[in-house]
Amino acid sequence: MKNQATPKNHKLTRRDFVKHSALSLAAFSTSASRLNAAGTDTIKVGLIGCGGRGTGAATQVLLSTNTPVKLWAMGDLFQDQLDKSYKMLSEGAEARYDRDAFKSLSSRMDVPKSRRFVGFDAFKGVIDSGVDLVLLATPPHFRPEHFDAAVAAGKHVFMEKPAAVDPTGVRTLLAAGQIARQKGLSVVAGTQRRHQNHYLDILKRVRDGAIGEIVAGHCYWNMSLAWDQFKVPKTPGMSDMEWQCRNWFYTTWLSGDHICEQHVHNLDIINWGIRDHPVQVIGMGGRQARTGPEYGNIFDHFACEFEYPNGVRVLSMCKQNKGAAYHVCERLVGTEGRMYTDQAVGYIKDLKDNVTYKYDGPNENPYYQEHRDLISSIREGKGLNEARNIAESTMCAVIGRMSAYTGRALKWDWAMNASKLDLRPDKYEFGDLPLRPVAIPGKTQLI
Amino acid sequence: MKNKVMKTMPDLSRRDFIKASTALGAATLASPASRMFAGGSDKIRLGLIGCGGRGTYDTTNCLNCAENVELVAMGDLFADRMERCRSRLTEKLGDKVKVTDETCFTGWDAHKKVLGCDVDLVILTEPPGFRPSHLRAAVEAGKHVFMEKPVAVDPVGVRSVIESSELADKKGLTIVAGTQSRKMAHLIEGMKRIHNGDIGEIIGGQCVRLGGGMLTWSEQTKQRQPGWSDMEWQLRRWLFMTWLSGDFIVEMHIHNLDRMNWAMGAHPVQCIGMGGRQARTGPEYGNCYDHIAVEYEYPGGVRIEYMGSQIDKVTYRQDNRVIGTKGKAYTDSGNLIIEGDKPFKYDGPSPSPVIKQHADQVAAIRSGKHLNEGKRIAESTLTCIMGRMSAYTGRALKWDWAMNASKLDLSPPKYEFGDLPVRPVAIPGKTQLV
Repeated sequence: MKNQATPKNHKLTRRDFVKHSALSLAAFSTSASRLNAAGTDTIKVGLIGCGGRGTGAATQVLLSTNTPVKLWAMGDLFQDQLDKSYKMLSEGAEARYDRDAFKSLSSRMDVPKSRRFVGFDAFKGVIDSGVDLVLLATPPHFRPEHFDAAVAAGKHVFMEKPAAVDPTGVRTLLAAGQIARQKGLSVVAGTQRRHQNHYLDILKRVRDGAIGEIVAGHCYWNMSLAWDQFKVPKTPGMSDMEWQCRNWFYTTWLSGDHICEQHVHNLDIINWGIRDHPVQVIGMGGRQARTGPEYGNIFDHFACEFEYPNGVRVLSMCKQNKGAAYHVCERLVGTEGRMYTDQAVGYIKDLKDNVTYKYDGPNENPYYQEHRDLISSIREGKGLNEARNIAESTMCAVIGRMSAYTGRALKWDWAMNASKLDLRPDKYEFGDLPLRPVAIPGKTQLI
Repeated sequence: MKNKVMKTMPDLSRRDFIKASTALGAATLASPASRMFAGGSDKIRLGLIGCGGRGTYDTTNCLNCAENVELVAMGDLFADRMERCRSRLTEKLGDKVKVTDETCFTGWDAHKKVLGCDVDLVILTEPPGFRPSHLRAAVEAGKHVFMEKPVAVDPVGVRSVIESSELADKKGLTIVAGTQSRKMAHLIEGMKRIHNGDIGEIIGGQCVRLGGGMLTWSEQTKQRQPGWSDMEWQLRRWLFMTWLSGDFIVEMHIHNLDRMNWAMGAHPVQCIGMGGRQARTGPEYGNCYDHIAVEYEYPGGVRIEYMGSQIDKVTYRQDNRVIGTKGKAYTDSGNLIIEGDKPFKYDGPSPSPVIKQHADQVAAIRSGKHLNEGKRIAESTLTCIMGRMSAYTGRALKWDWAMNASKLDLSPPKYEFGDLPVRPVAIPGKTQLV
């Protein structure tokens, strides 16, 4: 029964879904995979997307808990990526910005060759391999389809941010997120700030009125060229599709551009603090420094004004330029004070900019904490479900990009209900796929 | 005596001037204005420096703002611009235009020749890159000045304008700047209410001006003509050359940012910006950007965001808004609306601000009243310049550094018609903060 629902849901609009799910609610009621609360059952984990972040997420889920968790299956589009990740997990690796150094994890792995899948449908192999939890860490483009398939199959999900690259994908996410809720599945998104103590503390205070009524905000991900080493030049013999998938960060249909891929973290905090999503956006951006063909078709800077209910406007800035001033943080301005948060600290300030409260409690590494929270939700059947949060934060980034690319202001409701933008290629196969031109405001159409 | 001082002034630096003036004694400075106006209707003799569209417009308004104002001299770099302006003014204003062939000047030193005529007040409307040196020459020559915005394109120019303005104060000269928002009745009333605390303490704001590619500006110069040197080409396309216009954030959006400074009662303390050139990319658009966004931080950590663009076929928007603890004020060029504890909507008269700015100055000259907007417009100009500098370089920067330490000076090596390659479009991370 539940499998039947999947292929249909994939094509359902949000409106259709609501109708559909009301009719068949009972069908979902017993679908969560069975694990006991005592923590003795082994949670079998499938990794879908074996790049740097996926490998990091796998180490973090395995090391986040003393209860039995086992890596059970792996899948990637590319054999070499999968092999590299498998080797790394088996043998250990150095630290990265989002991952501690780790030694061999082979005692927590049981991934024979028969459960290592390669290709565009590798995700299906992983989902069907008997896992309880899947980690979705492919380029963001694939997330809606993978999430939908995982939920349909009754799997708990950890999905990296962002979770889509266009409104079509966001609608799929929201629909699948609802099904996950009905099935009691646990869904955690890789917006790890939501699991970081100082963010939790400061945002609770803000939501409880510590800065009065929120009237403005600012958030930024301005940085130097941190992603430069990941660019992949096109080599002879490499198909367009392969090049774009390997160079995914710089290809809008795969990453959503850096406003989605990176800045979604900061936008997520603003939504969290304001307790809502924006009603409209007007943005600008361009590609001024990072202009070579190896940088695909993404912009290198964006500035957007998001307007929330009651005329509350939030400035969002993100850029990736050599030598740019590093500025990654969030601010909310209220009638009685201000909030400042970044990855390390959180403050409440008064209207004169004096710090009146600073979080100085313990701070767990959020890259572990998010998995700890997920595992405990799965074991205790808490049904922690962050799908809606990440879908809405992703949509903020998507509409910001759409506005910057076209130069047009747009409304949330239009984007959510009427935009037909769907960045999927005609077919998923290695072959010709001309890179779409870099967007030009006033010329690129709003779809 | 005063004429002697005038003649020696032009070669003096500001530092020299203070020494010299101290040596000469305060008496020499007490009455250095070119002519004393005893009554309320004495004739004011006007000189125009910069005979483009704006110069023609300002001169028309100035001649019409009060009785007994006459245009007696005019100058422009180009003879064709000068002639066109002269015939249009003569046609429209008849015998208020008293210029003769002997008082119409062209060339690089046209401004000096205008200043050398018997004029009381000059209008400075050449491209902004020339403003600092022309203002200095005008004040040193003892002339009252009406100058269009912006008044500089770089920090070196801003410092010069501030020095010249201080000198004007010492000489009792008036300086008015063409930021006509400051003369708009609805904004004057609205700012009074804001400063009275009607929206509480100011804690944020937005300054948005989006759209309008200016693609049809000076269409006849889009195609570079044979025989035009680099210098002439750039001067004819000055709007799109950063060293001449300062880029659109300086040239155009100073109106909007000046209104923010007005509302805040302060200039920013630092800024961080970004921008680029994504739609208006042809060589006829020189080296200016087509979009810039800047976050300005004012005293007390109050952040104002600016978003500006000049791109066609996008969503057009103009929006100035100040947010306080007790309300919001919309301070646009057309409306003044306050929402919150003390709501207000201006519906009083709206006399023409572009007439009033000249009328106020003529009245101040005749009555000997102090009127000097030089420092204020210099600060608003620097507000825009630092935003551009941050966008061009990708670097955050502080007001104090820009005002006191930046060495950015966009003036060309020499002012003559000849080779002058267009400087490359700025690339953040590559373009240096100077």
